[in-house]
Amino acid sequence: MPWLKFMAATRSRSGFNMNEIANYIAVDTIEEAAETLAAGPVTVLAGGTDLMLQTEAGTRSYAATLMNIRRVAELRGVGLEDGSLTIGALTTVSDLLADPIIGAHCPILAETADQFASPQIRNMASIGGNICNASPAGDLLVPLIALGAEVALVSKADGALHSRRMPVEEFVIGPGASKLGDTEILTFVHIPSQDGAAGAFRKFGPRPALEIAIAAVAVTGRIEDGKFAHMRVAFGAVAPTPVRGRAVEAALEDKPATDETINAALAATDADISPIDDVRASAWYRRHLIRTLTQEILADVFRA
Amino acid sequence: MMDQIAEQISLIGQRIPKPDGAAKVLGRTQYINDMVLHRMLIGKILRTDRVHARILRLDISKAAALPGVHAVITGDDTPMIGIGVNKDNPPLKSGTVRCIRDEIAAVAAETEAIADQALALIEVEYEDLPAVFDPAEALEDSAPQLHEDKPGNVGLSYNISYGDIAAGEAESDVVLDETYDLHYVTHCCMGPGCVLAEFDAMGKLTIYSQTQYPYNFKMDLAPTLGIHPGDIRVIQPPVGGAFGSKLDVYPFEPICAFLAQKTRRPVKLVFSREEEFIASPTRQPVRAHIRAGAKKDGTLTFRDVNCLLNNGGYTSWGATVPYVMMRTFSGHFRVPNVEFKSTAVYTNNPFAGSFRGYGNVQATYVTATLMDKMAEAVGMNPIAFRLKNAQEPGEVTPQGSLLKDCALADCITIAAEKTDFLKIYAANAKVETGRYRRGIGIATSLHNAGGAKIHKSDGCGTILTMDDYARVTLITGASEIGQGIDAVITQIVAEELGVPMASITIVNDDSAIGPWDVGVHASRTTFIAGNGARRAAIKAKAQILAAASKEANVPAEEMELRGGHVVQSDNGVSIIRLDRLLRAMHFAGEDAELVMVTDYYEPPSEPEGDNHYGDMSAAYAHAAYVAEVEVDTMTGHVRVEKMTVVQDVGRVVNGLGIEGQIEGGIAMSIGYGLTEDLRIEKGIVKNPSFRDYKVATAPEMPEIAYHFIENDTPEGPFGAKGIAELPAIVPAPAIANAVYNAIGVRFDNPPITPEKVARALHGGQDGGDQ
Amino acid sequence: MSSELEISFILNGQARSLIVAPSAVALSVLRDDFDLTAAKKACGEGECGACTIIVDGASVCSCILYAADLDGRNVQTVEGLDAGDTLDPVQAAFIETGAVQCGYCTPGMVMQIKHLLAENPDPDEAAIRRGLEGNICRCTGYSKIIDAVKSAAITMRAG
Repeated sequence: MPWLKFMAATRSRSGFNMNEIANYIAVDTIEEAAETLAAGPVTVLAGGTDLMLQTEAGTRSYAATLMNIRRVAELRGVGLEDGSLTIGALTTVSDLLADPIIGAHCPILAETADQFASPQIRNMASIGGNICNASPAGDLLVPLIALGAEVALVSKADGALHSRRMPVEEFVIGPGASKLGDTEILTFVHIPSQDGAAGAFRKFGPRPALEIAIAAVAVTGRIEDGKFAHMRVAFGAVAPTPVRGRAVEAALEDKPATDETINAALAATDADISPIDDVRASAWYRRHLIRTLTQEILADVFRA
Repeated sequence: MMDQIAEQISLIGQRIPKPDGAAKVLGRTQYINDMVLHRMLIGKILRTDRVHARILRLDISKAAALPGVHAVITGDDTPMIGIGVNKDNPPLKSGTVRCIRDEIAAVAAETEAIADQALALIEVEYEDLPAVFDPAEALEDSAPQLHEDKPGNVGLSYNISYGDIAAGEAESDVVLDETYDLHYVTHCCMGPGCVLAEFDAMGKLTIYSQTQYPYNFKMDLAPTLGIHPGDIRVIQPPVGGAFGSKLDVYPFEPICAFLAQKTRRPVKLVFSREEEFIASPTRQPVRAHIRAGAKKDGTLTFRDVNCLLNNGGYTSWGATVPYVMMRTFSGHFRVPNVEFKSTAVYTNNPFAGSFRGYGNVQATYVTATLMDKMAEAVGMNPIAFRLKNAQEPGEVTPQGSLLKDCALADCITIAAEKTDFLKIYAANAKVETGRYRRGIGIATSLHNAGGAKIHKSDGCGTILTMDDYARVTLITGASEIGQGIDAVITQIVAEELGVPMASITIVNDDSAIGPWDVGVHASRTTFIAGNGARRAAIKAKAQILAAASKEANVPAEEMELRGGHVVQSDNGVSIIRLDRLLRAMHFAGEDAELVMVTDYYEPPSEPEGDNHYGDMSAAYAHAAYVAEVEVDTMTGHVRVEKMTVVQDVGRVVNGLGIEGQIEGGIAMSIGYGLTEDLRIEKGIVKNPSFRDYKVATAPEMPEIAYHFIENDTPEGPFGAKGIAELPAIVPAPAIANAVYNAIGVRFDNPPITPEKVARALHGGQDGGDQ
Repeated sequence: MSSELEISFILNGQARSLIVAPSAVALSVLRDDFDLTAAKKACGEGECGACTIIVDGASVCSCILYAADLDGRNVQTVEGLDAGDTLDPVQAAFIETGAVQCGYCTPGMVMQIKHLLAENPDPDEAAIRRGLEGNICRCTGYSKIIDAVKSAAITMRAG
């Protein structure tokens, strides 16, 4: 609504004193975003749900420049090519829940979106923000790791845009920490073709959503000739980052889809995770839940 | 020929929307949190970050120098006069801090941001002192002493003894010895704590307060401020929930007044949600040790109860909950021999206040689960065992409560019939396999339902006036805190005066206008204020009919008020329109009169005397709630599928209101039983947010079925009893009993969290990994 | 040192402009600068829904929304439903079904339900409950609010 700019603006009565932000920039393109990032310390504002909480709580401070990327139209939406999905970083969790391409080609993401926070937060939070926030309990990270998703990271140097891709699994490296460079912006999430693989996400909580996960599991793969095949497993809230369940994968891969195999996989969960005791749950309970949720997926989804 | 006015359908028992509903849905309602007064400043409190420490240095100079800051105050500026039940809590602490919520300084500034900056500039140095958090440890000789004048850390104690415990035990075939640990929960009012204070040029204080007891609030607030209670005017804008949390003066209120006094400007102070979790009162945690016996035939023989209350650093109403607990332990079911002892012990934890249900939430969790344990021990089913010990109408409890219209047996019988209890109970108990198991459980309780005479008066004042247009203004001392007394009083007055509800205005938000009332608590307001309103309306009606009689020359007893007219009782023919009569009365020269009546209703109850004996309420009520649950034996999650409510309500006045109170109470009690747990570890609140303190949300609510027992209690307004606390009391133990029916495990340490259930079923050790 | 920015947006049908700090919170701007106090700050971290408003047709928690993000958008608060003569069906249903007690959660509930019914005009019981999962009410136990949604849905489909 450009015509709005002709109005005479009044000055807000509050909110100026706490401000440490020297520049505010709202960009319209990826290139502008990359240029801004190249020019100096920048805090990126996407959905803002985590950023606002962290800055208000004092656990994170603003860089000199606050860059709002919400108007970068090319960063919102879902594309499909040869079975692979490309999801713009600004795509909201509600978008994931409602998008027909996601529903048809990657239902595990819609299933996760359905268990994500509340309707209001789903309307605000973006997939890119959820990834960059790198929470150990970040819901979307868990299925993305199981799906073998990659993130595209773009920067501008020497007058040219540079893009690199990295598996989500490698991208998140610790609570709140990722391999995102200071001058990089996460632009897209790429999900390789699942080619008919099954998949499921389970997160434990007494509520259908509106829970910080105390344990979450995502599994993708299929049954071929009565055996588990192409199995990928990820766990959330049981390590400093959501983690790949490699021991569980090894226990499943190419093994007959039997109770015995599932039990062996459950026994292997402990090797993949390193949960802690905190106010939300004990390490014991997290381990117990990981086994329970993994069993539920393997038995209900893969052998049903 | 005059109009014939059709007989009106009684408003009592109808489903009446709250009169303030329209303003609230439109977003027009102004809570204190929304108010702005001219030249208003924002107040903020600096709280300590220590649980027990001596303040060595408190430097406010940088904060005071910050532009936009108008006042910075500490305990050195304010009198060390305590507030609270034991008057042990000075609003701003000086010298020593005793718990994490302690207020040590406060600022008033032009904006919230400046106030926050100012707080950050205050420098404090402490010397930490040894701290104690467990009440049993705090009683040991070696424990740190919290208050010089409270040797041994002993706060309030309550003791009663009736009959002969030893004799009761001697005749018992079964004796159970059980210990319960009842946890911290908190009110979670959606409107965070808030107050706005302003002194006028004469030095009188106007305080916009969320209080539930405006009149005694003045008395409790005045001494610490050093002003006369009569110089305090309490204005009560709409409040975002209370549930008992606003029945005392808490430090933020006098602190805000001090700031207003010092700055000579209005000051508003609003809690953050985190502050609300840390620095508002909690429900009283209780460690209850109970020994109880029964004969083989199911007859209860004795209850011997010892309670240890974690008092925290200071004393508010939480420490007095045994007052209610002992009525349940001694009076709920026929118990011939009872001893109850309780001690509240000072520790370095935050402290408890009053909370809907008071001690009865705790006492009923114990008694209702113990009744099931006892039934099993003597080999009876939970229904038969309860019926065996249920009192009959007219029985008197050991503490002197006259159960004149006791409906306990009816509640139990109807609840069992409505839910097919015994059949489902037996079937569930047989199931020992499968991931999901179902359980059914019953709990009952007894609560005062006609006020509670814990002060010298349990009364409520009412003033009713009518204007020249037959509009009614009803001024009551009873506060509206969202519970719906506005609708109830409107119904009652409209019913008596035969006027439309829309012609009635309730005024109850200003202590300078309203007559005295003891406060909104103890399920008393419909009963006490309802009676007051009704009596005032009856007085007004008598005055009106007397005037009509003179005017129309018809005997008053042959007329009534109907549809805005004075009509002949026998045929409904209008004698005179009410507004015309009122004008005739008003403009009658020397005989002029206005309809302007007052009433002070004091219920026929008595304060407790020696040994806490006394018929302290004008009515008592019972309820039986049946919970049906499904337990996930793998995750440990308990889902409440259905709650069946059977409650003696005397008479339903407002169908919407009564269901709303019950549904809200059930949500709170589900929280108490399953999810809500204010985790206080070494004096620190570990989960001060809705993220980690889990109140019930819409998907977690069960189906609810109702059965109201309506026997018209003689003293109640139109037969009504107070109803609003039992729904917050009874569901949790019904759920606990249902969980036992499902999985055969008892939880004497609510909440029954998924992790606790999983540990019980899968053997995880506390704190251990694997 | 501090920067500021101008935001222009449609607020309850009217074009508005304001200079704000980049870190300003939408809820504070609505309450403090536009005197729209229906949306409440009850938790300040998106956990309770009392601050729910509708931005470009989607319900959001304004307590964790940047005011900067209002720029160029269409913003509706409960005050925008206040048409004078007639009540919005959701609001009318709230009154009639007894869904209001203390009222503090009510404006946020109403806006969330407006969004819910716009997305799904005929929600079943489970969808209603899920639709309210981000809004905490401490008074009602939600039953009457669920009744209100059902009643409003019927009215709106008929209307």
